[in-house]
Amino acid sequence: MIETARTTRAAGIEVRGVSMRYGNAEAGATLALKDVSLSIAPGSFFVLVGPSGCGKSSLLMMMTGLLQPTSGQILCGGQAMDKPYPDRAGVVFQEANLYPWLTAQKNVEFPLMLKGIPQEERSRRAIEALDLVGLAGFAQRHPHELSGGMKQRVSIARGLVQQPAVLLMDEPFAALDEQTRLTMGDELLRIWERTGQTIVFVTHSLTEAVYLADEIAVMSARPGQLMEIVAVDLPRPRSLEMMGTPEYAGLRNRIWQLIRNPAGPGHEH
Amino acid sequence: MKTSRWSAALLHPITFFAAAIAVWEAAARAGVVDPILLPSASQVAQVLAQLLGQAGTWEAIGVTALETLGAFLIAVPAGMLIGWFLAENRYWGAVFKPLFYFLFSIPKSIFLPMFILAVGIGLEQKIAFGVFSTIFIVVMSISTAIESVSGRHRLVAECYGASRRQIALHVFLPSMLPAILETLRLAMVFNFTGIILAEMYVSRAGIGHLLERWGQNYMLPQLMAGVVIVSCAAIVFNESLRALENKFGHWRASR
Amino acid sequence: MSTEAAAGLSPAATRRLILLLILLAWEAAPRLGWVPSLFLPPLSQAVAAVHADRMAYAQNLAVTLGEVAVSMVLACGSGIALGAVIGSVRVLRKPMTSLFSSLYAIPLVILYPLMAAWLGIGPESKIAFASLYGVIPAILASAAGIQSIDPHLAVTARSMGATLRQRLVHVILPAAIPSVLSAVRIGGALAIVGVVVAEMLTSTAGLGFLITSYRTVLDSPRVFGAILCVLAIVLIFDAVVRWLERRTAGWSAAIGRK
Repeated sequence: MIETARTTRAAGIEVRGVSMRYGNAEAGATLALKDVSLSIAPGSFFVLVGPSGCGKSSLLMMMTGLLQPTSGQILCGGQAMDKPYPDRAGVVFQEANLYPWLTAQKNVEFPLMLKGIPQEERSRRAIEALDLVGLAGFAQRHPHELSGGMKQRVSIARGLVQQPAVLLMDEPFAALDEQTRLTMGDELLRIWERTGQTIVFVTHSLTEAVYLADEIAVMSARPGQLMEIVAVDLPRPRSLEMMGTPEYAGLRNRIWQLIRNPAGPGHEH
Repeated sequence: MKTSRWSAALLHPITFFAAAIAVWEAAARAGVVDPILLPSASQVAQVLAQLLGQAGTWEAIGVTALETLGAFLIAVPAGMLIGWFLAENRYWGAVFKPLFYFLFSIPKSIFLPMFILAVGIGLEQKIAFGVFSTIFIVVMSISTAIESVSGRHRLVAECYGASRRQIALHVFLPSMLPAILETLRLAMVFNFTGIILAEMYVSRAGIGHLLERWGQNYMLPQLMAGVVIVSCAAIVFNESLRALENKFGHWRASR
Repeated sequence: MSTEAAAGLSPAATRRLILLLILLAWEAAPRLGWVPSLFLPPLSQAVAAVHADRMAYAQNLAVTLGEVAVSMVLACGSGIALGAVIGSVRVLRKPMTSLFSSLYAIPLVILYPLMAAWLGIGPESKIAFASLYGVIPAILASAAGIQSIDPHLAVTARSMGATLRQRLVHVILPAAIPSVLSAVRIGGALAIVGVVVAEMLTSTAGLGFLITSYRTVLDSPRVFGAILCVLAIVLIFDAVVRWLERRTAGWSAAIGRK
């Protein structure tokens, strides 16, 4: 019996007054993020959306612990993310970033191998994770034998293999064609229903954002700031037919309006 | 696809060699060229068999092999260390890389007199010149290989909490293995060439010296047999290493 | 970071500084007795030797340059042409490139005594050898370059109604320039190496010959004078090719993949 289904403990994420400044004062520093605060409930599907340069990817990187804000703090389940805590937060990038010299299974085992977990348990958990993402028969394939969507699924399996409290995803479907994107979106929701951890998802696509999210943080650029948090109360499980409803269109338009006309202090044009 | 199988067989290097040898033999027998200038393939084969039965030949081969191995074992680790340093150290890398590129295109042979004056004409001089011929390609090849290790691969490992040692072992090493093998292969090409050249220039021993002597004395069958010996040695090593490269780099071609 | 970086010296500036130091050391070390001047005579002595014997150096320089020029034309010319053919014809591409890269492993210098025996010790054997030396890498470079030209460029021109001649002149030729230049750069550099090596081994004229003959009489300043002349040739060739590459840099946008 596969040991998923809500046994994964989910953690909430607290972002408190985070700012990110690149460069030094004389050279003309760029303020990538300005005073962002938000709260992500455990087990929720949270989406960050916004134009290029709004700092959403930087914010996600800070949640992984690989990047530190110039001021402010990020807590994941109460733990300050001063460095990566891989059993707390798994990461999926836009490019799958699988190691080409390893099979799919070995790629998924990678985080466990780093932790020194013995081979037998590694194999077991990796195969479970691959099964979860629907790639049970492809464990021995190498990345170059897999399609873009399949590679991304392996990447997701790798992110989930440690059953982290949070899964961080940085535009994971951006490099895929539209049909694959839609399929993967459904897949992801199906997996999430089973595992139940918190998901933070960054995307450019408003359609994708509304389809997947419980809550959407809409950000503006120059400097990157949180404009509004839009709640999506479409019923779950989501289906593609919902994309044709007026509620869906309304939410999309709302977000689009926010992005086009950033209101509030501290924005340039 | 019968046609492609045929053309693959037809154009395989071995077919070329076989055809070239056939043409050679035919031309020699037909008396197209003076037999002193171009001994027939069969004659060269005979002389080759004779030479391989003589102790003197094997002694020369042994000397050359020793020099080649010695230079290789010094130049490759040294070059890898320097190349690693230049790749990891942005600043000094930027300072020295153009210099290395330039040094690379200078005929190294012009420095042979310096080596002779400094180290003499014996084994040590050949090894020293071999190291000199090889070290630049190793430095450049390795530093390119290190730099081409995907930053994203490193990033993933860091996300999952890998230590520096783990990153070196589980990301750099497998990622670079085919490139390291290629470096070894190229290093040997340059190394062997340098050693043979040094032996041909001024030497008392080694296969290069024999070649030069046979050339001076117009002993063409022996000269051509010598060419065959050296060519075979070079190709065997090269292709073996290339086979290894392909085995470990099967994932490279498809990226 | 290193102290130089903190002091704000760019890598290029540091490099020039190092080169300057090397030149100074070349002058000072033998004079101060740090190295025997038989091994490394002061730079100024080498330069003075060239000046003192400038007629002889000029003559031999001319011989070498002549051989280099002809070899370059032969090596690069046939290399580019053969490489272009091999690169374009799909059936030939794989077997030919693997054949040539296997041949690359053989120290070609072993063929020089054969050529000297066949063609004598005059310029013909040098040219034959150096052309062979440069042609294989030139073929490989040209074949690789031709493969990287974006095929869509010619198709686009055709869709705009360009004739074959127009396509050739305005699309294919300019697109081929970067790969041609890379074959020239490699083939040319190796042609220089081939000529110098051949002259050092068996010759009666040329810079390589000077190096060998002055070495046997232990006249180090003159040996280094000849070395300097060779370095000058390499530098000038390199600079010319670099200039050509810069002039045509925009055209490398024609290459679809890097």
